[in-house]
Amino acid sequence: MLTSVFIAAVSLALFWMAAFTLWWQMHAWRTPEVLASTRFSSPDGGESLSFSLLLPARHEQAVLDHTIQRLLESSHTDFEIIVIVGHDDPETTAVARAAEERDPRVRVVVDHHEKKNKPKAMNTALPHCRGDVVGVFDAEDQVHPELLAHVDHAFRTTDADVVQGGVQLINFHSSWYSLRNCLEYFFWFRSRLHLHAQKGFIPLGGNTVFVRTKVLREADGWDPNCLAEDCDLGVRLSSVGKKVVVAYDSDMVTREETPGSLMSLMKQRTRWNQGFLQVYRKKDWKQLPSFGQRLLARYTLMTPYLQAVSGVVIPLNVAIALFLDVPVGVAFITFLPAVTALVTFVFELVGLHDFGKQYGLRVRFIHYLKLIVGGPFYQVLLAGAAVRAVWREQRGRNDWELTSHVGAHLTEVIREDVPA
Amino acid sequence: MTSTLPAATTPTVPAQRPRAPKIVPNAHPVLRFRSSRSDLILCAVLLAAILVVQGWNIAAYPTLSDDEGTYLAQAWAVQQGKGLAHYTYWYDHPPLGWIQIAVLTWIPAHFSPSLMTVGSMRVAMLLISAISAVLVYILARRLSLPQWAAGLAMLLFGLSPLSVVLQREIFLDNIAVMWTLLAFCLAASPSRHLWHHFGAGIAAAAAVLTKETMLVILPALMVTMWRHSHRDTRKFALTGAVTACVLIGLAYPLFALLKGELLPGSGHVSLWDGITYQMSRPGSGFILDRGTGSYGVLQSWLYYDRVLPLGGLAGALLLLVTWRWSVTARALAGPALTVAILALVALRPSGYLPAMYVIQALPFLALVLAGGTASVAHAVLRRWRRDEERTYVTWGRRGLAAVLVVAAGAYVVPRWYDGDRTAVTADANASYRAASSWLKTEVKDPKDTRVLVDDALWLDLVHDGYRPGLGVIWFYKADLDPAVTKTMPRGWKDLDYVVASPTVRRDAVDLPNVKAAIEHSTPVATFGKGEDRIEIRRIETVGGSR
Repeated sequence: MLTSVFIAAVSLALFWMAAFTLWWQMHAWRTPEVLASTRFSSPDGGESLSFSLLLPARHEQAVLDHTIQRLLESSHTDFEIIVIVGHDDPETTAVARAAEERDPRVRVVVDHHEKKNKPKAMNTALPHCRGDVVGVFDAEDQVHPELLAHVDHAFRTTDADVVQGGVQLINFHSSWYSLRNCLEYFFWFRSRLHLHAQKGFIPLGGNTVFVRTKVLREADGWDPNCLAEDCDLGVRLSSVGKKVVVAYDSDMVTREETPGSLMSLMKQRTRWNQGFLQVYRKKDWKQLPSFGQRLLARYTLMTPYLQAVSGVVIPLNVAIALFLDVPVGVAFITFLPAVTALVTFVFELVGLHDFGKQYGLRVRFIHYLKLIVGGPFYQVLLAGAAVRAVWREQRGRNDWELTSHVGAHLTEVIREDVPA
Repeated sequence: MTSTLPAATTPTVPAQRPRAPKIVPNAHPVLRFRSSRSDLILCAVLLAAILVVQGWNIAAYPTLSDDEGTYLAQAWAVQQGKGLAHYTYWYDHPPLGWIQIAVLTWIPAHFSPSLMTVGSMRVAMLLISAISAVLVYILARRLSLPQWAAGLAMLLFGLSPLSVVLQREIFLDNIAVMWTLLAFCLAASPSRHLWHHFGAGIAAAAAVLTKETMLVILPALMVTMWRHSHRDTRKFALTGAVTACVLIGLAYPLFALLKGELLPGSGHVSLWDGITYQMSRPGSGFILDRGTGSYGVLQSWLYYDRVLPLGGLAGALLLLVTWRWSVTARALAGPALTVAILALVALRPSGYLPAMYVIQALPFLALVLAGGTASVAHAVLRRWRRDEERTYVTWGRRGLAAVLVVAAGAYVVPRWYDGDRTAVTADANASYRAASSWLKTEVKDPKDTRVLVDDALWLDLVHDGYRPGLGVIWFYKADLDPAVTKTMPRGWKDLDYVVASPTVRRDAVDLPNVKAAIEHSTPVATFGKGEDRIEIRRIETVGGSR
């Protein structure tokens, strides 16, 4: 009896979790009107804002010049590019300086921090920004020339404090995990993020994010000690009621590539999870005015851990239902989370099809197959990253110095994790 | 405060980019049933009329049917915690139907257990009829029929004498129809919401699990959903609906699997056997062949009403033929297709056609007949009309319309008046009630008396103190259920009474124990006359061992 009650309770909890996650994941496709509203609206030709585009670059001499050239091709007329390089990185500095020589819109800021990480680099550049809006890109990003005009228009027409553009991993064919990784980005930027914007609680992405300079300075820039400084900024800004607008357009997204190896994906995910945990413990989200928003914040920031747990418990639950002698009614309840998981699977398949259509990519049968077969393994990977993050964070809490050491290690991690 | 970009409909952000998705405006302004006063009033008035006609005299007409008794008794078993049936549940139908009946009748049965008999619990079906009737109206409006046509559909559905007779009875089909209508309404949701379509899938699964024959309607539901979804979100909506339907539908085999009864094996029933039985039921002949069982069933429908079944078929035909020119025809594609599918299935030369088959067609017949009427009305009043039409032509059109309305009324109203008057005045169950009360008052020791009865009377006797299952016995179980025959080692000699209703006499031909019981008994009380009489027969045991 007690076993039955326990199993039923766990199953129902898992079911609601999975159901809500699915509900949010499908936000953009709820109605045709919602889908239309997730796009940038067409610029009217007018321009009123000036941009300062931050480009932190560390050991990026190979791609940096190309990225700068592409940014300079933007159709917008009023922007500057601030390349941030480390004092210990002469190769990248040389490329940046050369670009500065060629074009007056490019400036170089040197970061002298002993332990380097991305938030510190960007904070170093913040006082040098002259534009009305600060934008962040990564050194290997492919940015669409029309993007700035669209963002300008979005700021003006919506009176936003922050505009988050879409970021999309494209190389779905590279490996089984990159397929899932691409699709994760697709659902996140195409759909879920819009829901967060609408609900007034949003963890921002790491690039293609634009903030009014005044707002950013008031918020004291990025948190140099947070491993997910982008998420943290979003949480802090939305918690004090700043207006965030999200727009996703397949033409206009910033295209990126998945991490090059399974291990670097694992590291990247560990860092995000640990960052989310840090943001959760900073408690800025507690200032959110409504209970529902705080609940969403709590849930979102804890997602990696819930994901880890559910990945293990769902199969266990089904096994219990099939092999243990529980009443038929209880057995039915244990199947509920599995049912939601199956629905999610199906929507992911459709999502992959839509992804292919949106980007004009040919998705073959084998990819759909990989998506399904890879699902459980990806779940294991996510669970692994979640456990790893908790373990590291536990160590970090005892010894904050150690975390700053992790920060130094981060320079390498930043190199790997193209997105965020 | 944060938000997404305002929708393209906001004036400040015009959607001009060529690649931006075009929101195709609905041909008609989005109907919000809840906030449309005239719709609500019309619907409420019609509903009141339907409830009066269907509810008045509901217990006494039509004759209690054996199937009603079966389902209600099984619902009673569910309420009593005896499992899905008081005899072995053998996967004859998915159980969701009588589980719903059990839930519906739970509260009244809790306060007054003796209410749990077929006659009194027919009231529960009024609720189902009411919901279905309102759903017909909503669906008609969502399929962009004008108010008057939606009202007409609701009236046809609720007041046709055929509907009145069939919807009063405790049939699983009536409940399944409600779910199907809900599925259609959600599929045609004006907001084209992903989760509405998902819900349509769930409702469709509920319909199929209530009565498995609803399976054949699903393609028409898909067509409706396709037509009412938007290009940009369609693939998510449709796959969502299909997934929901399949996953919920799989609950039934899963249930069998969990009980270890999915596949046949010795010593237990199985889902497989149940399906095999239903698929191999002997056919009742071609519906248009005089003398076949199916022909008889068709005639029994047409006896009550010709307007709805034949008019509906004609309406469906008209809509399918005028598909290319008529907006109404395209809007009603789903219901018209449903009618076509059901008609084709009924026309199978060797299929089995049960009397309740037509129930699932009723709402769709009503919708296409109303739609066909709207189409004709449009043709008469509006088609080829120019701005400066001559007055006499306009009046000619109106005159023609009036003539058609009067003619239709003159044909339909007297017939329906007769049919519905019978329904609200006739008493077809007097002999059942008399038999029940005789068995209650004249038998000394009900607890130790064993009686064969048909399913319709079974619950009455249970309330009168007979032992359910082995004391008061569904007559055919005496031959077909090993658990019952085991307790009758001496066959008919182990019984005391047999209540020979028309059903019992008809089926006794194939049931040796029942037949023997009738042969070795003499009537002690007879109620009614002729074919419809009910005899209570006492078993004659020589030497009187019992």
